[in-house]
Order: sequence, then structure tokens, then C-alpha cells
Amino acid sequence: MSKISRRRFVEGTSAGLVATTVPLRGQTKAGAPAKSAIKVTVNGTVHRIEVEDRWTLAEVLRDHLGLTGSKIGCDRGECGACTVLLDGKNVYSCSQLAVWADGRTVETVEGLAHNGKLDPLQEAFIEHDGPQCGFCTSGQLMSAKALLNHNPHPTADEVRHAMTGNICRCGNYNHYVESVLAAAGTLSADARRKA
Amino acid sequence: MNSLKTLGHPTSRIDAMKRVTGTATYTGDLRVPGMLYARVLRSPHAHARIKRIDVSRAQALPGVKAILTHENCDVIWGSGDMRNKRYLFNNPVRFAGDAVAAVAATDRHTAEEAMRLIEVEYEKLPFVLDPEDALKPGAVEIQAGGNLSPTARGQREPETYRRGNIETGFAAADRVFEDHYSSPHINNAQLEPRVAIAQWNGDQLTVFTPTQGISNCHTEMARDLKLAPEKVRVICHYMGGGFGNKNQNHDFELMAAVLAKNAGAPVKIEFTRKEDFLSVHGRWPTKQYYKIGVRNDGTLTAIQLRGYSGMGPYRKGTGGIAGIEIYQCPHVERQVYPVYTNKAVSANLRGPDYPQGVFGLESLMDDIATALKMDPLEFRLKNMTRKFQDQLEYTSIGLEDCLRKGAEAFEWKKRWHAPGEGSGPMRRGVGVAMGSFGSNLGRSSAVIDVDAQGMYHVHVGVTDIGTGAKTTMALIAAEALEAPLEKIDVIWGDTGRCPYSVGESGSRTTTQTGWAVVQAAQDLKRQIAEKGLPKGSDLLTATVNANPDPLRGQARVSFVAHFAEVEVDTETGHVKVTKYVAAHDSGRVVNPLTAESQVKGGATMGIGMALHEELLYDRASGLPLTAGYYGARIMTHLDTPEVDVLWIQTEEPYGPFGAKTLGEPTIIPSPAAVANAIFNAIGKRVKDLPISRDKLLGVLA
Amino acid sequence: MKSFTNVNPRDVKDAVKKLGEPNAIAAGGGSDLLGMIKEHMVEPDVLVHLRAIRGLDQVATRSGETQIGGLITLDTLSHEPAIRARYTVLAEAAESVGTPQIRNAGTLAGNVCQRPWCWYYRNGFPCFKAGGNQCFSITGENQFHAIFGGGPSFIVHPSDTAPALVALDAKFRVKGPKGERMIPAAEFFTLPRANAARENVLAPDEILAAVHLPAARPGTRSTYHKVMDREAWTHAVVSAAIVLEMDQQVCKSARIVLGGVAPIPWRVPKVEALLAGQRITPELAARAAEAALEGANPLAKNGYKVPLTKAVVRRTLLGLAEKA
Repeated sequence: MSKISRRRFVEGTSAGLVATTVPLRGQTKAGAPAKSAIKVTVNGTVHRIEVEDRWTLAEVLRDHLGLTGSKIGCDRGECGACTVLLDGKNVYSCSQLAVWADGRTVETVEGLAHNGKLDPLQEAFIEHDGPQCGFCTSGQLMSAKALLNHNPHPTADEVRHAMTGNICRCGNYNHYVESVLAAAGTLSADARRKA
Repeated sequence: MNSLKTLGHPTSRIDAMKRVTGTATYTGDLRVPGMLYARVLRSPHAHARIKRIDVSRAQALPGVKAILTHENCDVIWGSGDMRNKRYLFNNPVRFAGDAVAAVAATDRHTAEEAMRLIEVEYEKLPFVLDPEDALKPGAVEIQAGGNLSPTARGQREPETYRRGNIETGFAAADRVFEDHYSSPHINNAQLEPRVAIAQWNGDQLTVFTPTQGISNCHTEMARDLKLAPEKVRVICHYMGGGFGNKNQNHDFELMAAVLAKNAGAPVKIEFTRKEDFLSVHGRWPTKQYYKIGVRNDGTLTAIQLRGYSGMGPYRKGTGGIAGIEIYQCPHVERQVYPVYTNKAVSANLRGPDYPQGVFGLESLMDDIATALKMDPLEFRLKNMTRKFQDQLEYTSIGLEDCLRKGAEAFEWKKRWHAPGEGSGPMRRGVGVAMGSFGSNLGRSSAVIDVDAQGMYHVHVGVTDIGTGAKTTMALIAAEALEAPLEKIDVIWGDTGRCPYSVGESGSRTTTQTGWAVVQAAQDLKRQIAEKGLPKGSDLLTATVNANPDPLRGQARVSFVAHFAEVEVDTETGHVKVTKYVAAHDSGRVVNPLTAESQVKGGATMGIGMALHEELLYDRASGLPLTAGYYGARIMTHLDTPEVDVLWIQTEEPYGPFGAKTLGEPTIIPSPAAVANAIFNAIGKRVKDLPISRDKLLGVLA
Repeated sequence: MKSFTNVNPRDVKDAVKKLGEPNAIAAGGGSDLLGMIKEHMVEPDVLVHLRAIRGLDQVATRSGETQIGGLITLDTLSHEPAIRARYTVLAEAAESVGTPQIRNAGTLAGNVCQRPWCWYYRNGFPCFKAGGNQCFSITGENQFHAIFGGGPSFIVHPSDTAPALVALDAKFRVKGPKGERMIPAAEFFTLPRANAARENVLAPDEILAAVHLPAARPGTRSTYHKVMDREAWTHAVVSAAIVLEMDQQVCKSARIVLGGVAPIPWRVPKVEALLAGQRITPELAARAAEAALEGANPLAKNGYKVPLTKAVVRRTLLGLAEKA
């Protein structure tokens, strides 16, 4: 089977002779990557910034706006650590280009607390020990926030469906669900058992 | 058990506020002025010799500051292989994902573009994926001297444990059962991918890295870079999980340090998720051949295991297949062959040697109970361990209570039925499995000082990988100092500010570093009693490098029994875990809130191991197919049942307030409990993990 | 990530024009496309951001026909009351895709046109789908591959909405440089033996602008059943999109399309004929399931799909027929 000559493998493995014949495309004539000026409202603040077209929203939030609460766990829309609200809907910010957020509204974990007062979700996450390593927590919070925004009193099963795009490898799903129900005021020992 | 004032009550994490507001700073969140970004080029082949590598085009790309390959970097990564010299960049490359080059540039996109401009000419070599195939004559030799990885003493023989005489044991048996099982390579899949920043200030190196052990990482970085230990500082404020694959130092930290040195600028190195899955390590795949002798009354007479563990091409882990010690049995023989293969490297993942070994062992024990027409719970109660390896007294043992009280909470008697009993396409079944994990004592350190305001500053070299270790240390300190929790300040995660602590592996932090905190607290209390609280800006300080009390010929072990109920759709192969009870003897539970999270998490991970996870390889090319969260089918919210946690708090005379190990035992019996529940539901057994739909429908056909 | 230029087209015409530029590619929700760019599976110079076009995400009813803009998100589609009520199969299919985050970004057109999720293709093997000349699954790991219609490639079509649309007898409004063409859903998807590199007839400079659903006949009920290997965020191991036109207890007509079994949404006309004019009893559903799998040609490791698909067809059919 040594016939397989492979062009790609993991990102960053596409070494070899083939890659060297591929010219670097998609750049302006001067060789600089294409850029765009965008206006994006993040946690209520309007930002006018110039971004490379290839930059993801996660990248811009973290590296250029200093909002590092959203994490990059997979960079492929498979884990949910980068979840933010885009015009109120939870999305993977690693799977959105920053230029696509032009003119839109973004909410991140940093925007949950107001005037030093935690969101009820944050309070509940503390009390019910939602975060273990904490790397997925911001994403869990934002998916929970998106849910409660349109369904303030969800059942446990609705919580699981709404948050199923957020992986927690520490496996603390029970506590996350419990936290959201507590924040929504729908947690009862009985409901927790049945749901 | 007597109740304590502060310790033992559910307590929110002392750093929870930071974890829920996005202000906890993980390594990837940090930026250092002038920082470069680094990426790693990896082998696209399972086994190949690099005939030529040309970095000139990459070097010429504007913004590229440093490139490392095997030609210009001969740093040996000591923790990457316990037996062989493993360089940062090896030639030949021995698995798909082995590092070939690293590039530092002004931004990550430039680094990536440069990486793609490196020309590598490979000569492909034969490869072998399966550990048994790798031992066959004619198999390609992956490391000099053969594919059976040698013992610590350099002998080419299996890792062997014996007691009694195995043939005597089989001769004493009324019946002998034999079967074989396998388990795949599984990735730790912690949410935070590898990232590190290395910064030189003259000859002083600072490394920011997500590590499970700043102290190990510190000494090993110094060792590998040939620096005096005081020239290295390791900092880890928050880290996003590891489950065993962020202990010790790693190649990425070394690469960052060397790149930073060569480039004359700080370097942040980042791995993609796929790189993290393939290039670090996961649980070793195993093949297990069990032979067990038993009397007609169910008494075990002999347990024999011959096992093979695929270590990948480097020996980074033990390769152990453990679990036999949960049974009392006079004649035992275990031989495990750790074997080099051309798959991803294998090493620690939560409870390293156990979950896969317990899966095989507990599967066969269940079949034996069935053949003897015994309730599997009764079979375990009859045969469970009473003394460690039938020899040493346990300092405390709550295994029987784990089984009995767990069974009661689970309503085992009501739910259990003869295997396969039932009708219709939907079948319910229940399974039990048990486990144990050494809760060894050992040296660790703590420094506590107290200021004039009566605030205690507890310095410990922990990083808190998600277990809540910081909070645990604070609770132990508060209890030992008889101070309120608010008066405890924990300083962690920085070798520049913290004493040596044992790494957060082997579930040792609570028992070992916690013990050091107790000792330091007692010393400080004595000092305060003698001198009073300090005045002005003075501090009173207690420094302890605590050796534990000797156990005097006893064994200190945590115990666990898990109970699972599943519903199996025999027409579609769908399995749903419908009830789950986890009973744990970890001595006194320091923080029931975070401890419960540990148990729920371990059980969840174990269910995923039972049903989903596998790093699958294409046999023709030797390349992996299922790296990543999608490919590995990692458990989601919707896959996870409610896990009920039951504490069996034994009176344990050793360790901090009688606390024993918890983090790793939580996964140990979980895959076996689920597998046994499936067997109970359908009366047929899948012997190869994961118990995926195709295999399940296969045995049902 | 490779550098590229993002362009925001003013309207469909502009989008088509921009797609005609060298090495341009259409971006819908982007979830999958960005991943493919990051993996260097595609290396575009120009990204045509279709969601910049206003009005391509609307649902409208014209002379009984329901028209759905191709850029509607899967989340909106799955919650649209008119769709849920009259075209349940499509709402359920949309709801079964990925995760909430993916459904909030992902579009109907993007879901229909997404590239295969065969693990060889996705891991960079030079297969037919990547412009190569072999299918690695044939002798390799083919647990999730085709049991119908395979050869020379054995991928399964990854879309959940595609089987639903074929079952609903949808027409696809495709716009390109030469104007507009209407393509019946069943003719939109192509088998590998016609073109092993592609999954449909869409040209690189064409876009799937809208989907037209014929008026639902009285007594029509429909459903989508998807089997996954975890409870969320996998593609269909197998799935069934079933539309029944019922008159009391009798099935007047049926359309049954299977997902996860073939390189295209796999319609089973023989089964549809078997059901027409019949009461759907457990016995008939079982016969239909047997008939649905006639001619299945499993590879070494996907034989389990045969009994699995039978069970799915039988149960889904029966469940739908019995639904009040």
C-alpha cells in the first residue's frame, strides 16, 4: 500500500513535494492578506476594526479585542468552547469569519455580568459546581443563556437539547443541567430525577 | 464518622467566580510583548525515513523567525520515552503525527504558511499497528532491539506478576473459563489543546504551560535543556484538563523554549485539536487473554492473564493491564507485553492501567457467575479482595459496603434477571463492576505563612486540573488551622512562588500535598501558640516537606463499585444508559460538591469508553481516521445519564483527615458495568470495546 | 488558514458573477466550509458570502406551493410553523442536524450541498472526492459506507434535509450565469458512476437559491427518523424520510427516501408501490422493510445497516401510519 501519496494529513502536515508546487494564493498583489474594516458590537460596545478576511470571530475576540473568555477547544465546530451569541443566537465563533459579523451584535461570557452583579446562570454554576477544569464553561454559559432568553423555564431535557453542542470532557453534564434548572427556577429534586 | 467544622461539607470552588466570568486565565489567553507564534509540521506517514528536508523556502517567507528540524535540533525529550532516546524531531518518523519540524513566525497564519513550504522527501518504511503482529517474526523493527519494550531493568520479557502457582490453581478448579477481550486507543480529549509560551530573560527561562505538575515539568525542562533548575520557572494558573496527558514536560514546551532561544523572542506554540489527538498520547490499546479457574461453589482458584499493550513507537507509559487485585485468589499469574507499534503514542489516561483491564476481567467474571447460575453481585461479594494481593491488610476497606449499599440504592435485587431474559425488541439489563486504586502516600511540600491580619497564605505546587485541588487544599488548611475558609489564601501554579508538590497524577494531590498542608498547618499553629500572631509586615512561616507516616506493611487503597442499567434496542443496536449508581470508598470526602463532580465525570467518560470511543486506523495506510470530538463520538449532554453518587466513608487512619484517592477510581469499573448491563439485557457479549452498533448487531444477528 | 478575500454580493446575480471569478467558492453558514479551508481540503481565493444577500432566507407560499429561500438557517426552518405543520419531515430533518450552534449558522442550501463526511475524504486521502482516482473504503474501514448505489465511490450522502426534500418531491431553483433552472430534487443528486468527484449537478458558479415544495395534499403526514452513533452531532448512520398521503386508514400514496445508505438520497419506488392503496399493518410494514432493502450490496463491515435499515423503515412507517 505504499502507493498512497498523500497531500494532506493533520493540518500542518501537508509537507512534501506536492505542497511546494502550490503557490500561495488569495493574497493581494503585494502579498499581504486581504483585509476588511468592520463594525461589530460586542457586549454593548461598538468596535470599528480592520480584520484579515480569514480571521475567525473567535480569533478576533480573543487576540484583537482581548476577550479571552471564549476558548478555542477544537477550532472546527465540534466542541462548543468558543460559543458566543450572534444577534442573540448561540454559534461557534470558531466557525464564523469576523467579517461576517460586520454590523452585527456579539455577546460573550464577559458580557453576562452587569455592574458587578453576576447573571443568575453564573451564580448557579458556582453553587452547583458546573465548571471542573472550566475550559468549556464559557460556552456552556452562552448556550444556556441563549436557551433561557427564549425559554425561561425549561425542563431538564430541553436544557440537554439546547446545550448538546457543548462538550464537557470532565463529564460534568449533570451539574451543568442542574445549574441551568436552578437558575431558571425549575430545579426540583423530583424533576431532576425524572428528566 | 465524626463531622468536622469546615472540611467535609459541600463547598463551592474558591476560584469559581473566575471560572464563570471568563476571567480565569489559561495559557492560551496570555500574550507576551513581541511574542511569536509557532506551529508544528507532522509526519503524514506511519513510518518513514526522512531522506531530505529543505526549509529554505519557508525560511525565506517574510515573518519567519526560526525553524527546527531533526537536522538542527538534537534535544532529547526525556519524558517522551522511558526506554529509548526520543528526540524532539526524530528520523525516522514512527507514527502519523510524529513531529518533523517547528516554525516560529510573527503570527500564526504566517507560521502555518511557512510550515507548508517546508519540503520533505520521505522514504516509506513498513509499519505495524497491532501489538501481537508487531511481535511476530519478520515484523518491522520500530526501535532497535525489537518491538517488545524492555523492562526497567532492560530485559526483553513481559511485565510479570505471580503469586501461588497457576497450574496448582487450575488443578484445584472444577471449571476453567477462557476468553479474550480488546480495547482500543482512546484519546484523553481534554478540552484545552496544548499551548505554551516560552520566554528567555538572559539565561533564565520562563515557561507558561498547562501542566498537571509544575514541579515535574520544571525539573524535566531543566534536565532536557541542560539548564540548572533555578534557571527555569514554570507557571500554570489555569489549565483546561489533561486526564494524564499533561503530566511531566512535553515536547511542545521544549520546542517553544528552543524556538524562543533561536529567534531571540518569546514564542507561543499552539497545537490544533487534531495534533493534540494524534501527537501527544492516549490510552493504550490492549488485547487480553484471560483464563480463570473456579470451584463449583464459585470460589476462585486461579486467574491468569496474558495481555498485549500497544504503546505506539515510544515507551511513554506502563502499558499495564490491571484489575486482578480486586479479587481474592490464591494463584495468580499476569504477563503483559508492552509492544512498540506505529500507532499514536500511548500513556496515561485516567486510571491508566485499570478501566480496560477491569473491562476484560469483569466481563469474564460475569460470564462465570452466569455459568454457575450465581447472581453476579453475590459472586463478587464472595470473591472480592479482603487483603491486598491476598497478603497485606488494607488500612481501610469499604468495598463490601460499596457493593451492598450501592446495590441497595440501585435496587439490584429488583432489577437483575437472568442474562437475556425478556421478550420484544427492547431489552433492559443491569450490570455491576468493581475496582480499586492505590492511594499511596508520598512526599510533597507545602509552605504556609500567616500575616498580622491573621490571613493564611498556603503555597502549594498544584495547578488544579479541574478536580478542585485549590479548594481542597484550602479546606484542609482551614480545618487543620482551625481557621475560617475566608482566611485562607492559596498560592498555586508557579514554581517561582510555590514549593515542590507531587504532580497531579495518580490522584495524589489530596492525599500527598494535602498531608503536607496538614503538617505545615500544625507547625504553624505551634509557632503561633508560642509566639502569637506576627506584627506589622512580619510573617510567621511553616515549611514542610512531608514524608508520610509509614504504613507498616499495610496497603492504602480506594474502592469503588458501579451499577448500570441499560436499555438495548435489539433491532437497531441502540444502547441507552437509563440508571447509574456509583458507590465510592475514598475515605473521608474532603469536598462532597467537587467530589461528586469527579465521580459523575469519571462515570461519564467510562460510558463513552464502553460505547463510543476509538482512534480507528486504516490498516492499509496506517493512518488514523477518527481524531477529534466528532470522530471519537465524545459523550454529549444528551448521551449522559443522571449518575447517582454514594459515599462509603470508611474510617481511614492515614492521610489528611482520612481522605483517600478519588479522581481516577471514578472511571475504573464504568466500562465494565455498562458492558455487563448490555450482556444482562441481551444474553450476548461484545468482547471488543467500544460496544458499537455494528458489533452489537453482529452478535445479535 | 490560507488567505482569501471575502466578498459580500449585493444580490443573486452579483453572487453568481463573483462565483465566476477564478477559484471562488460559495459560503453559506460556513461551519463546514471554514473547517475544510483550515484543513486545506479546499483552498479558495475568493469566498462569496451568500448570507449577505437579503431575502434569500424567506418562506413564502405562492399558489399552494411553498418556497423556501436556500439561505434560511436550519434552526429557523425547523421552527417555522408552516413547515412543521405541512412538511413535518423537513422540519424534523433540519432539527436533527448537528447541534444548536450549527443549526443557527447552517443553511438549508449548505446542508443539501455539503461535501461527504467519509473519514477517508475528511482525513485527506486522495480519493475520488478529493480529485483522486480511488475509493479507500472498499477494502478499508467501511462501517459507515454505502450499501446501495456505490461505485466507484462508496460515500453516503451526508445531508439530512436532502432525503426529506426528495420525499416531498421538491424542486430546486438553481441560479447561474445563464439564468435560472428548476431541477427536481431527485435529479439534483448524482451517483458516483455519473461523476465520482461530485454529489450533485450544481456547477461551481451556480447557487441553490430556493427550494419549492408542492402543496401538501390533504391527509398527508410525514416524518424523518435518524439513527446516530451518539445522541447528537453525528451524521445519519441510516435515516428514513417518509411522506404518506392517507385516506382514513388507507395509504393513498407514499414516498420513502433513505439516508445514510447510498451516495444520494435513496428513494425506494418499489416500496412506495407496495404501499399504495393499502392499509399499513405491521405485516405490510415488515414486507415494505424487506422490499426496501432488496438489492442492498453491503461491503465487508457495513452489513449491519441492512437489518438496521429494515427496522427503521418498518417502525417509522408504522409509527407514521398509526399517528392520529
